[in-house]
Amino acid sequence: MHEQDVVPARRWLRGFACELTEQDRRNAGVFTRWSVLWSLGLVASTFALDGGWVPAGAPAVVVALAPNVFGLFALRAFMRFLRETDELQRKIHLEALAAGFGGGVIFMWGYRLLERAGAPQLDTSDGLLAMILVWAAGLWVGMRRYA
Amino acid sequence: MKNTLRVLRAARGWSQAELADALGVSRQTVNAIETSRYDPSLPLAFRIAEVFGQRIDEIFDPRPPAPNGHRGPP
Repeated sequence: MHEQDVVPARRWLRGFACELTEQDRRNAGVFTRWSVLWSLGLVASTFALDGGWVPAGAPAVVVALAPNVFGLFALRAFMRFLRETDELQRKIHLEALAAGFGGGVIFMWGYRLLERAGAPQLDTSDGLLAMILVWAAGLWVGMRRYA
Repeated sequence: MKNTLRVLRAARGWSQAELADALGVSRQTVNAIETSRYDPSLPLAFRIAEVFGQRIDEIFDPRPPAPNGHRGPP
């Protein structure tokens, strides 16, 4: 990659760069680790259930619900990050979360009407994806606004 | 909100990072306050005043500047 390609990429990433305190970095690290475990658990459960490795009934329910334990720990870690973070970071994250939630709701309800108008049917996770993308965009805008 | 944070910090030879450490916030927050992009909460404003040994109203000025650049009577 040439330098002129690297510099624009770095400028774009600067929007996500936030200068966290040491405590914030620790809390963000804990949240990241639980989130990775949660993601790996979801993938493992999906393969186990789709591959027929788990007997139907109670075992399948346990395998389906097991990754949520990591999800709950990730949620607790994120709540701790929000409570203990710098006040400007808290403002940025809360505004981004509000945008993500609102954007996701508007997308999901709005697309329901589009489906009635003949648009292809989407999966529930597509609405979640919209929520996450709007949240990420909100974070980027917030970081740049106060950079 | 206008403030004299940058002037006070420079007078003491502190970097934004050093002031941020003293206040327990990120350098980004210090920069945002100095550039008037963000107004601190009351607890943070009190901590800033304590660090610089001044009153809050000596550091922060909520009045908008007059069109001729001068401020009105207090």
